[in-house]
This record gives sequence, structure tokens and C-alpha cells, in this order.
Amino acid sequence: MTKLTSKITAVLMLAFIGVFMVFSIFGSKKSRSSEENRELSKCPGITSSSLLDGSFAEQLGLYSADHFPLRSKWLNLNSKLREEIGDGIINGVYAADDMLLDADTSRRASSGSCAAEINRFARDHSGAVYVVAVPTSSGVYRERLPEYLDDYRESQQISDFYDKLNKDIKRIDAYNILKMLNSNYIYYRSDTKWTSYGAYCVYRTVIQKLGFLPTTFDKYSIRHVTSDFRGNLYNRSLCTSVKPDIMDFYYCSGGAEVLSCTGVGKDKTIVSKRIYDEQQLESDYLYNAYLGESIPLLRIKTSVNNERKLLVIKDGYADCFIPFLTQHYSEIDVLSPELLDGSASDFVDFDKYEQTLFLFGIENLSDSSIFASLNR
Amino acid sequence: MLYSSLLFIYGFLPLSLLLYYAVPRKVQIPLLLAVSTVFCGFIGLRYLLFMAAYTVINYAAARLISRYRGKNEMASAVFAIGVSFDIISVFIFRTALFAPLRGAFGFPEEFFPIGISFMTLSAIGTLMDIYGGKAEADRNFIRFALYFLFFPRLIMGPVLRYRSFAKMLDSRKPELAEIGVGLTIFVKGLAKKVLAADTLFMLYQAVRSRDVQDMSLLTAWLGISAYMLCLYFTLSGMADMGTGAGYCFGIKMPQSFNYPMFSTKIRYFAARWQIQTVQWMRRYITKPLYAHFTGRIMRRLIFIGVWSVFGFWYTFSLNGLLWGMLIGAAITIESSISRGKLIDTTGVIYTAVVVMISGVFLAGGDVVYSLRYLLAMIGRESIADRFGFYLVKSYIVVLLISIYASTDLFRNMMIRSGRSRIRSAFAVISPLVVLLLFIACTAMIMYGGSSVIMLMKL
Repeated sequence: MTKLTSKITAVLMLAFIGVFMVFSIFGSKKSRSSEENRELSKCPGITSSSLLDGSFAEQLGLYSADHFPLRSKWLNLNSKLREEIGDGIINGVYAADDMLLDADTSRRASSGSCAAEINRFARDHSGAVYVVAVPTSSGVYRERLPEYLDDYRESQQISDFYDKLNKDIKRIDAYNILKMLNSNYIYYRSDTKWTSYGAYCVYRTVIQKLGFLPTTFDKYSIRHVTSDFRGNLYNRSLCTSVKPDIMDFYYCSGGAEVLSCTGVGKDKTIVSKRIYDEQQLESDYLYNAYLGESIPLLRIKTSVNNERKLLVIKDGYADCFIPFLTQHYSEIDVLSPELLDGSASDFVDFDKYEQTLFLFGIENLSDSSIFASLNR
Repeated sequence: MLYSSLLFIYGFLPLSLLLYYAVPRKVQIPLLLAVSTVFCGFIGLRYLLFMAAYTVINYAAARLISRYRGKNEMASAVFAIGVSFDIISVFIFRTALFAPLRGAFGFPEEFFPIGISFMTLSAIGTLMDIYGGKAEADRNFIRFALYFLFFPRLIMGPVLRYRSFAKMLDSRKPELAEIGVGLTIFVKGLAKKVLAADTLFMLYQAVRSRDVQDMSLLTAWLGISAYMLCLYFTLSGMADMGTGAGYCFGIKMPQSFNYPMFSTKIRYFAARWQIQTVQWMRRYITKPLYAHFTGRIMRRLIFIGVWSVFGFWYTFSLNGLLWGMLIGAAITIESSISRGKLIDTTGVIYTAVVVMISGVFLAGGDVVYSLRYLLAMIGRESIADRFGFYLVKSYIVVLLISIYASTDLFRNMMIRSGRSRIRSAFAVISPLVVLLLFIACTAMIMYGGSSVIMLMKL
């Protein structure tokens, strides 16, 4: 290398490093990343123990990475590079041809303890209990993932979970319904969750089990509300090679209407909510447009005149599923147990309902702490 | 804080360079010690305390040996104590057997002093040199402490004699061109680590996740190739980053690896792999033993024995020892069978095969696993399976690039090209290539802010 080349290299590199250093130190810091849909880490405080074992420097390292200038651009580049040189797994997300799939197998743990909590709930309360465990997109599109990833497959996880439920609990096999229809747009390309259409396909079976005839598909008018949805898998990988998703709102023409929709917060404050919250289409996580931002309890009253009450205990998977149920019940209460600290029975009287539906994504059923508030 | 972290690259390194070039030459050495202390402090204050104690004890031993040398028994006693201290401290942290002693000295279970393996060799070498009268103990504590704490040398060596290090300090030539050379070497090392080694590590992990009992020949070879390349890129990448950072301060430390992976003979592989450590073994173990034993067979046994020690130094387990023994034995057999030159291609393939086969021991968890793995490599189960093909398909690009990057083909082309057009063209684009590589590496470590997979704790 000639001296001149070395000097040019030095100047070029030092300038580059210098600019990014100055902006990292003095640039404005955001507290939240909308691209990644998460809170960014805060500047670590100095304690004697964090200095002693070096965890201070570790946290400072995370902080500097979180607030690095143009972080999301860097991550876009990161995912492009990883697709080229590796097997395409970016931060636990696998970039298949036209969709992102969760490849983080650490969450595929046994759901036995969750089954035990549901059994306990069913034993303690009088109504009939129905359970739907929804696979993630990587469960339904398993064959698109690298084969070696894990041996404990989601189908296996779901059937193990169902096997552990008491006999009198009715379970609905969402996995095989979705698997059969997997050439349709039933899962988002950039999220682990199902689309409204996927939810509808499962709804048809669920509602029959609950004792109603399903509303046929032609009754619905469908509105594409956005084609810019980037889901949780995108937030994790920032992989831009997959197209953003389309989100649909389903309206039943001539069907029952939602009369009121009120949310109850953790501190029992009451807020007005909507089944489809268009304001959320401007937020960081567009999926929240279904039922609005999550809230511990949601009380829906409809114009259906049958005095039937349903309790849905659920996670995010149910958000786009609930709208279909509004055609059948005059009252639906929707409980998100993981958002509660205290006892859920302070919020709802479980014995008031003749039917209770548990609807969860299997990915959220490996840790029974989400049911902690239920049996307290 | 590792070299492959944003905090180091965009914070610590430029800031210390700024300070270093701002102060007069006289103050530069104390400043280097100060920033190295900060570097250690960032790894953890406990680590810094350990390093400080380690340095002071070795400094005291060196001074005492030097004072009493040739006068009375005191020198031998201090020498024995000093060397035992160094050896015991490396054993305490690197073996499970001595782990209970960690607690006894008040270190938490997870504490590991980074670079202890290199430091031990440096310390013992220095004490031996002084005891043998080959060197004088430096009175200057700052320089002596810098020998241990100099941050570009801390994580991955190279092991240097005190005298050579002191010479490098004295003849340092801090200037812009050196920074350019240094950053080029640094980026080369960074790319080796985050582009090559980390990707190869995923391939290796994929293979390791499989049951070795039904692994196909293709998969097994892919796995071990990925491991050896990953090991080479990790060790040499970290070493390059250190050397590069040293150059930025005008301190020219030697390269640790000289394209060993695809040599034409095992002997050349051995001479190019972790050069300073292998030299250390020869200087401080092989040569003194050779002086006592002149028989041919005995010397061969010593040679193989010292290689076993070198292997043991990597893992502090039986597996590493077996790796060293195999390489040592291969060199011995090679030199007694063929003295002539092998044809290049045959030589390269034969060396690579031997390196991979012995590498199984370095990689494996225990001896039984390694033996099972060797069975898979000769195709006990099957020749190829879908999994193997899948891995080839996914990783072919990175495998080919890393194989090319671990040969000396490019360097030789540059040397041969002389003053031709290729060379001048490369001189023009090289700053840009360096910058682009640097940008790619920065992107690769953006998630967590650093790349921490090390394969082994040295």
C-alpha cells in the first residue's frame, strides 16, 4: 500500500467514524423506535456492582447501539446482508421467499402448565369452556422454514396442549383448518398472526361448536384499510425484501350492529373503544386497529336480541376474530388476563356466562404466568 | 468491551486516538497506560483490579529476580514463586478442577479475565528471560504495566517478548499514514470476525444441533470446515483488530497468522498458525528440553509433547491436547517421510484434510463425541442427505468467500503484480473498499452493538 493510499484511507475512515461518533454523542435521542415497535434502552445509571462486573459497559453498549444515528437504515442493510451471506435468519426471523417466519425456537416450550390453569378455571366455574390454540405462521408454513430448526413442531405442541386439557373442555382444531387453506392469504407476511380471513375460516368452525350457524362469506363487505402493515416479524428483522401486508375490516351488511363498546382499564377507568379503530392505522403497530389498543377488559353490546353472553379470554390473536362473533351474541366480554396484576374476578363474574372461549396463539402458551390473574 | 463493538469502534478508539495525538510524545506512553486502564475498567472494575494485582506481582518478581540473580538462592525462590503464581492463576480461571479456588479468592463464578492465557505466556517468558540473564527487568513501571495492559494486545495477543515490545514502543512512529494502515488492518479483522466467523458459526451450530449418530458425510465435513474456518477467522480477526489498533498508535506489532489454512504442508500450517504462541512454545519449552535430550526419538517425543501442550493451552481439556498431539505427530511423520516438495494442489488438499480431521478434537465436546464425529466423516451413516444439501445451498457463498479469503492467493497476486495496472487500480479503490467493508461490518453488529461469539475463552 502506498503512503498516499494509506493517508486517503485514514482521512476517509476517520471522517466517517468521527461524524457518526459526534452524532451518536450529541444527536437527539428518541425514546421509542416506531420501525422496531419497541422502547429503546435508557442511558444506564452507574452503580458499584454494575461497574465491578462490567454490566455497565454492556448496557452502555446496548444504549449506544439503540441510539446509533440512522439505526433503522443500518438494520435494513443488516437484513439485506444476512439474506445474502447466511441462511437468511435475521435476529431469529427467517426470510423465506415471500414471507417472514419466526425461527426462534426457544418459545416452542411445552404448554402443560397453561393447560393446567385452564383446567382449574373450568373446574371452578360453571359455564362451558371452549379452547382454540392458534398456530403461528411458522407452524402453518413449517415446510418453508429450514428443516433443521427444531424437532418439536407447533402441530405437536398444540396437540400436546390439547391432550392435557380436561375431557369436558371443548377444543377446536384450528391448525388443520388453516393448514388446509394455506394457499390463501390467511397469515400476514410480516407478522406471526393470522389475517382477518384466516380468523374467519376458523370462526366458521368455532361458531358451530358454540351453537350457531356461521355468517356466510358473501354477507361481508370487505374494506382494505391499509396495504402498509409491517408486523412484529418486520419489527424484529427490519427486512425490507418482503412486501408490507394488507389489513381488512369486515362489515356484515344487514347484520347486527355493535351498540356499545367500552373498555375497562387496569385501574377500572372506563374508556370508550371501537371494534375497528382507524386512528391506530397511524400508530406504530397497525394491528392495534382491531379492537384498539389492548386493554384488560372490553365489554361489547350488540343489537342481537338473544340475551346470550359470551366471555372471551384471549391474546392478540383474537383481536381480528372478535368482530365475527358480534353477529351472534347480545353481549361479549373480552378479557386479556396478562394485562392484569390483581385478580380477574374483580373485573368479571365468571359464573355469569354460560360459555367461555379461550383463544390464544400457541406462541403465547408456553408461559402460564399470563393466566396468573385468572385463578387468583 | 470487545474490539468488535460499536462502543469501541465509534467511541473508545477514536477518543483515545484524539488524546494520543494531542499530547506531546513524552506523555504518550503514560497516556496509553491510562486509556488501557480505562479499557480494562470497561470490561469490569473487578477485571481491572485483577489485572493491576497481576501486573504488580509480576513486576515485583521481575525486579527481585533481577536484583538477586547470580548472588544467592533468593532469585530462584522468587522465580519459582512468580512462575507458579502465573501458572496457578491461569489454571484457576480456565479449568473446572481449580474453580473452587476462584471463590476462595473472592471472584464470582462467572468472572473470567479476558486474555489470561496470552498474559500468562508473556509473564512466564519475561520471568524466564530475566532469570536466565537474557534480559534485564525494566525499572520503569509504566512501561512494564503497559506490556500487560496495552489494550490492542489484551484480548488476542500476540505474545511478545518484553524486549521486542519495549523496542516497538521506542520506535513508534505515529502519523497519518500509519493510521490508514492500522484502520485497514482493523477493518480486515473486523470483517473476518463479523462477516465470516459469525456466519460460519451459524453453519457450525446448525450442524452441531444434529445428532452425530445419523450425520451424513457431507454434513460432517461441512460442519468441521465451518468450525475450523470460524476458529481461524475469530482468532485471526481479533488479533488483526488488535494489531490494527496498535498501528493507529504507531506501534507495529507482528501478525499472528499468516494464511495457515491452505498451506502445502502441515509444517507450513504449523509455522503460520498463531505464530508468536508457537514460537513461545519452541523458545521456552522445546529448546531447553532439546538441550538436555539429544536422542532422535526422544526429541521427536518432546516435539509432539510440546504441541500437545499448545493444544492443551487452547481448551485446557483432553480434546485440545489430542488436537495438538495429532498435529505434532503429523508434522513428525511428514518430515520423516517426505523431504521433497509436494505438488501444490495435492499438498493443499492433504494439509486441509489433516487439519480438518485433527480439528474434530478441538471442536468436539468430549473424546467420544469426536470419535463419533470422525465416523460420520468417513460416511458411516450416509454420504449425503437433504440437510447437507440445504446447508450447501444456504452457505455456499460465504464458504467460498471465506475459503478464498483464508488463502494467500490475493496477497500473492498483489505481490506479483509489481507496478502493473492491477496494483495501481487497487491502490485507487482500496480506501473505498475498506470503507464499504467497514459499513457492512457496522450494519452487522447493529442489533446488539457488538459481536461476542468467541468459540473459546483465551
